[in-house]
Amino acid sequence: MELLRHTQDAFGQRMLVGVNWDILWLPVAAAAVVIVLHLVVRALRRAD
Amino acid sequence: MNTPIRHHGVRHRLADRLFHWGMAVSVIVLGATAFLPIVGFRFDWVPLHWISGVALTLLVLFHLFRVFFVHGVRGMVPGPDDIREIAQAARGIGPEALAEAKYDAFQKGFHLAAATTILVLLVTGLLMLAKIDTTFWRRDPSILSDYSWGIIYVIHGAASLVLLFLFTLHVYFALLPEHRSFLVAMIGGQGPEKARKGKS
Repeated sequence: MELLRHTQDAFGQRMLVGVNWDILWLPVAAAAVVIVLHLVVRALRRAD
Repeated sequence: MNTPIRHHGVRHRLADRLFHWGMAVSVIVLGATAFLPIVGFRFDWVPLHWISGVALTLLVLFHLFRVFFVHGVRGMVPGPDDIREIAQAARGIGPEALAEAKYDAFQKGFHLAAATTILVLLVTGLLMLAKIDTTFWRRDPSILSDYSWGIIYVIHGAASLVLLFLFTLHVYFALLPEHRSFLVAMIGGQGPEKARKGKS
């Protein structure tokens, strides 16, 4: 998976244009993982 | 640095609450105008995006004034007790033996991460204003090379993804029942003066 987007300039050279937005799901998924982990730890601590 | 004025039972004063919710609205508008077009909602997002960005910049300048001339910096800077608090929390031990503090280690950590990310977004975003025409100025992308603009776009985009992550977590933690008093304090002002209730 490419993390960055490139294009070609008028001379055919590779030009950096930004982050690849196909990874937009990544921060949401990472936050969901943290939330689930926190809920599990919280539930285990309360069960003690 | 000024000594903060104490108001018993008040966690957040009106000016700070207005800053917080103003920033929240700006960040939501900025996020919506940045990400909705990417996921397929087509609209003229650029004017709303840069105006919200300028509004957020003014809000952050106001906040920095309050930090340096009203509150002081020390209350939000992580210290040794914050490291101890995290280490103890990882082992399931409470912070009772540590010094009490308005903000606990996790609040300070989140603030540091969010502040850094927003400052990176504002600096790169303000540079990007040079690429658009407005009533106030004409575009002049020649201030940077194409390569440098590429780097600016990458930093701005990556920081926006980090902020999306932080924003999602912030909403989750704010809505937890055990954090309700902090949410109420950010709405009405009244709330716990100390988030870390250790030894006084």
